[in-house]
Amino acid sequence: MSELRGKARAARERARSPLALRLALVTLGLAVALGVAIAIAVSFGAAEVPLWRRLLGGVWSDAQRAILLALRLPRVLAAAALGGLLGVAGVAFQALLRNPLADPYVLGVSGGASLGGVIALIAGVGGLGVPLAAFVGALASLVAIERIATSDGRLTVFTLLLTGAIFNAFSAALIYFLQSVASREELSAIVFYLMGRVPSPGLATLAALWAAGIAITLALFASARDFNALTAGEEGALQLGVDVERLKRRTFVLGSLATALAVSAAGLIGFVGLVVPHLLRRLLGPDHRLLLPAAFLGGASFLVLADLAARTLAAPTELPVGVVTALLGGPFFLLLLRRRGASLGG
Amino acid sequence: MIGKLTALLFGAAILTLGCGAPRAPAPPGGRIAVMAPSAAETLVELGVADRIVAVGDFVDWPPALSRLPKIGAYDAPNPERLVELGVALLFTTASEAGRGEHARLEQLGIQVVALDTSTFAGTLAAIAEAGRQVGREAAASALLARIEARVDAVRRRAAAAPRRRVLVAVGHDPLFVAGPGSHLDELVTLAGGVNIAQDARSPYQMVALEAMLERAPEVIVDSADNRQGNPRGMTAGFWARWPFLPAVVQGGVAHVDPWQLLVPGPRLAEMAELMGRLIHPELFGAPRALDFTGHPEPAPPALPAAAAAAPR
Repeated sequence: MSELRGKARAARERARSPLALRLALVTLGLAVALGVAIAIAVSFGAAEVPLWRRLLGGVWSDAQRAILLALRLPRVLAAAALGGLLGVAGVAFQALLRNPLADPYVLGVSGGASLGGVIALIAGVGGLGVPLAAFVGALASLVAIERIATSDGRLTVFTLLLTGAIFNAFSAALIYFLQSVASREELSAIVFYLMGRVPSPGLATLAALWAAGIAITLALFASARDFNALTAGEEGALQLGVDVERLKRRTFVLGSLATALAVSAAGLIGFVGLVVPHLLRRLLGPDHRLLLPAAFLGGASFLVLADLAARTLAAPTELPVGVVTALLGGPFFLLLLRRRGASLGG
Repeated sequence: MIGKLTALLFGAAILTLGCGAPRAPAPPGGRIAVMAPSAAETLVELGVADRIVAVGDFVDWPPALSRLPKIGAYDAPNPERLVELGVALLFTTASEAGRGEHARLEQLGIQVVALDTSTFAGTLAAIAEAGRQVGREAAASALLARIEARVDAVRRRAAAAPRRRVLVAVGHDPLFVAGPGSHLDELVTLAGGVNIAQDARSPYQMVALEAMLERAPEVIVDSADNRQGNPRGMTAGFWARWPFLPAVVQGGVAHVDPWQLLVPGPRLAEMAELMGRLIHPELFGAPRALDFTGHPEPAPPALPAAAAAAPR
């Protein structure tokens, strides 16, 4: 017990240390990095668009203007918002489960989103119907999982994790079933949908993704001190005066919303929500007041650059962006595990 | 509908097999099952429709075959059904994945013929091989001669024409196009076009839309996403979002039912002529309404004579 108190005290002290300057520096630095990443990503693609010459007074053709403004720029900005959502969801779920191996897809919402999207594809709903159905599926699974994992008014983290895993497995089985009875054209649509791809959305979708990303990050940021306290365990956090039940429920809902938006808009893009929080935790330490805004900005930069690679490495062929994030993230994550060894064990 | 092939699966279905070493034909007269729509068309064209007792799930053309028992999709026929129907000869699209299953079928006494229709040349070779396997070499040779003569006529007529930049889309979301090695690439070339996706890495390839826009196609042949009810014909449709494309400006965007172009078999010559009308209408004449549609629905089966004659 005294050890627990010690941990709690350490967490409280960390929480009290003056951080305004570090927060400003980290946020500013990562925002500049994101700006640079966006500028680079907009400059390159499968087609040649003399971006900088235009700024110096050159002229674009109609095709070049359309490529840049209707295809490339929206896609880069979407990648940034999606990466930010995934990064923040990763931090939230890792804090909630107190497990560094948690990622945005672990708690079942992604399964519900995928299933919703696949049903919409088979129903022949085009356009925004698929992401909307995916979002509805994600919200439905969010509510169901929360209900199932709550007993006696308490949200048990262990039950939450199990329920999420079972939800994902169940959704996957239903998707396999739907694939097996789908026509050829439906099957290929499903395969590509599940593979994950950054879209080139319209202005409204783009604004919604960004607004949601910033709002969710700020909402989670408001609980950053509580997350810090939670690292000492639920009991420790309780002793520090944290309303643990409320915190868990809020975190689950906010993280799931972020995941739902990301999966609905772009399918399953792996590793962003796992690798980015880890790297940042190594660079910045475990304080969630730094980690949350950093995860949004860092996740954004990471996915912008990964999508740039997906667009350009084999141009004109496009690679699935999930392949790139896995190729970048997988070995990197293993390296981190190896360096930190048992200390990562949570 | 046979023609509803989309990009990936289309690629998977026709990018296949390697027949391996030529095999001795099966004993004549045995029952036949056929998985792929293209092989089904070929066998009917060779005059052995009456020997076919079962077809793959996606075979619904020609009408002679559309009501036969279905035995599974892709290259995965149901072995129990094959044995039950007494099939001696199975025409399928060979794939690495299917190889083990094919060996097992051979152990059951079913001769498996895997036809490679992934390329133009492969499609012609597949017709010859099918003829050999069913003992109709002469019919196959005659069919090939007819196809080659008509294709040559297209090639000769287009030879002097200026090459027009052509994009052949087989999937929209993501954008999949026909690349080198596909029969579509060959058809574009012989009909007086240049495939703007010539640097694609495989016969059917996911590509960046921006790269295709940059290459300013003058003709877009679009066989993608043709769910029933979607528009067919010379219509800008999906591509109208890019009004600067020469194909959109010049009215060169054709939405063609996949059945017209994506079943490489005995209709290759028709496909070449259609491609000619789409790329060089000034030489081959304007495309016709029927060029864009799927096959007509098969007529309902005739009532048995006794039932038809029965008094009311």
